[in-house]
Amino acid sequence: MLALPPLAAEAIFNIGSFTVTNTYINSTLTVVLFVIVGFLVKRNVKEVPRGIQNFFESIIELLLGYFDQVTGDRKKSLKFFPLIGSLFLFILVSNWLGILPGVGSIGIHKVVHGELEFIPLFRPANTDLNLTLAMAITGVLLSHIIGIFTIGFFKYFNKFVKLADVWHAFKSKKVMTVFTAFVEVGVGFLEVISEVAKMLSLSLRLFGNIFAGEVLLTVLAGIIAYVIPLPFLALELLVGLIQATVFSLLVLTYITVATMPVHGHSEKAKAH
Amino acid sequence: MMHEILQTLIPLAHAAEAGAGDVANDSVTALLGIDWKLFIAQLFNFAIVLIVLWRWVFKPLTTKLEQRSTKIEKSIKEAQEIQDQLKGVEQYRKAEIEKIRGEANEIILKAQKTAEANKEEIISEAKKSAERVLEQSKKELASEKSKLLSEVKEEAANLIVAATEKILREKLDPKKDAELIKESLKGLK
Repeated sequence: MLALPPLAAEAIFNIGSFTVTNTYINSTLTVVLFVIVGFLVKRNVKEVPRGIQNFFESIIELLLGYFDQVTGDRKKSLKFFPLIGSLFLFILVSNWLGILPGVGSIGIHKVVHGELEFIPLFRPANTDLNLTLAMAITGVLLSHIIGIFTIGFFKYFNKFVKLADVWHAFKSKKVMTVFTAFVEVGVGFLEVISEVAKMLSLSLRLFGNIFAGEVLLTVLAGIIAYVIPLPFLALELLVGLIQATVFSLLVLTYITVATMPVHGHSEKAKAH
Repeated sequence: MMHEILQTLIPLAHAAEAGAGDVANDSVTALLGIDWKLFIAQLFNFAIVLIVLWRWVFKPLTTKLEQRSTKIEKSIKEAQEIQDQLKGVEQYRKAEIEKIRGEANEIILKAQKTAEANKEEIISEAKKSAERVLEQSKKELASEKSKLLSEVKEEAANLIVAATEKILREKLDPKKDAELIKESLKGLK
């Protein structure tokens, strides 16, 4: 009988009190790959691009084109590029590495809960909620930090806890304005909740998609190992790309909205 | 085929159900495998990727891209400027050529005029000098003529003297002879 991968990543071995899971192995391999490639790129950046530099330059140009559509400003795109580009490339590469043969099929037998179970050595890095949550929290927190640095702490704070609005409403001494201000305070409270929802939805979306893909491939491979999984593998390639795009562009949207001037209520509504 | 698939899926479903029952007691975070140590480790991994890509790939490449695009922009602008300048130079050259051509024409006209004037002058000069030469030659001719005439007269006188001498030698004595000569000379003069 075939075993479906569990929701949680499986432990392979321990280093001290730290449990190394199969997803952690995968994500570390991705990191190693990026360090190697990054080093190769950094070593010879030339005026006339060649080989790997050319490849990365074309990727950067392509991504910047998409980012411009979200930020509407090349300067902003360039400013946020390190974070968003890294998110995109890291998610994309770790997703695609997860489709490689051997991921999910090479493994060890280990006694878990008193039973001998097959545990794969490699598992797509994004089928671990720890990683997706780490990236989501990083993205959302950075969007707030960048927002605070761009439009100032008090103005930014007023987006969520609208004390200034209430103060101005009382100063105007109009009943309707005061009433509106209180509604705004409620909206601000919802805003705070939506920030938490952002983190959850980002991380769970990525995790869910990649995990589902892994489960699907495992099931298909268990039923018919040949030919039939091929279109699904192709689909997984697409899903990997789409999820990377969705994740990074959403974070970019959050940052863009966070750096907008305070009066942009309507734009805010559009972005959600 | 269908039967086989079902054969595989039904136990799976049973297993999943059983599994769900098992973990119902555990918390959601445990079910999803949330573990703060792993979380920090993964965060660290992502941070490494972020820093590596930022410092080694994105920063140098985007600056290079920017530099290149500004360079290209500059080059295009410069090329445009050069083209404009070239156009200006061409216009200037044309104008200059036109000007020079006009000047040259003027000079030629002037030269022609002066040449014409000179010609007239030279011709009149030549005429004058020709006249002068003619006059001179006429004068010379006249003086020559008179000289010649006097010479001829002398010669003729001598001849006459000689001839008369010969004729008269026999009939006249020397005294009468000299008188006669003197007389005839006086008549000649």
